[in-house]
Amino acid sequence: MTVREDRTSPRRRGVYGWVDPRGRRLGHWAFILNRLTGLGILLYLGLHLVVLSMLATGPNAWDNFVSLALTPVFLAMDVVLIFGLLLHGLNGIRVTLVGFGLVVDRQKALFVSLMVIGAIVLVVASLHIFEVG
Amino acid sequence: MTDRPADREVERSTWAPSNESGQPAWGWILQAVTGVLVLFLLSFHMIANHFMVTKGLRDAASVASWFSNPLVVVLEVTFLVVVTWHALLGLRAIIFDFGFSPRTERRITWILTVVGTVAVVYGICLTAVIVSRG
Repeated sequence: MTVREDRTSPRRRGVYGWVDPRGRRLGHWAFILNRLTGLGILLYLGLHLVVLSMLATGPNAWDNFVSLALTPVFLAMDVVLIFGLLLHGLNGIRVTLVGFGLVVDRQKALFVSLMVIGAIVLVVASLHIFEVG
Repeated sequence: MTDRPADREVERSTWAPSNESGQPAWGWILQAVTGVLVLFLLSFHMIANHFMVTKGLRDAASVASWFSNPLVVVLEVTFLVVVTWHALLGLRAIIFDFGFSPRTERRITWILTVVGTVAVVYGICLTAVIVSRG
């Protein structure tokens, strides 16, 4: 088998290959960030379904949660969530376009511009969140 | 060079990523389609739950009255289905990168399908309870 001999092939690197920076360019880190944020959002989705179950038990449980959700610690976690969502969603737009063969040669510029847009939206969202809370 | 499918010249699908046999990679395509839908449905969900209320978060009474609108119910349930699908397809892609046999891959797909179905059914039941309160 020739696969194992190539030092940089996926089989040779294994899971450690996710963070091994040798021979890696920006595209790899975009891919890893997409996966990490995806897993984080999946965890959030599970938590979200559990929390929403409070809505079914009656108004008191949910309204108690709402007052907890408006505390600064919670709002800070919301900002982290929005950061993850923006990163994953905007990068996903790039992945979809490139996967269908569009904008392939300007991929890097697309990634950078999308992340800049994301950063602006994140700042605006954070200001809005802490104004309201 | 061994005679693996990837080594032979294979006629590939031209409009989307393809697998070793040149067939369109439907898992990837579904993820892209559900991803685009999530972008729109999530925007609706965020605006509906954070920008249309004074405190930025709906209390129980506000949720009940919001869900009395059938269009809202349809959109939120659609969102649940699409986001769960997208999330589990993504999880499947990550798991498959560890390299399992085709038989194991089919089993993993089956397990994730069951997990997704349970989550969606649970969400729909929860929605029904909320709607009945409103």
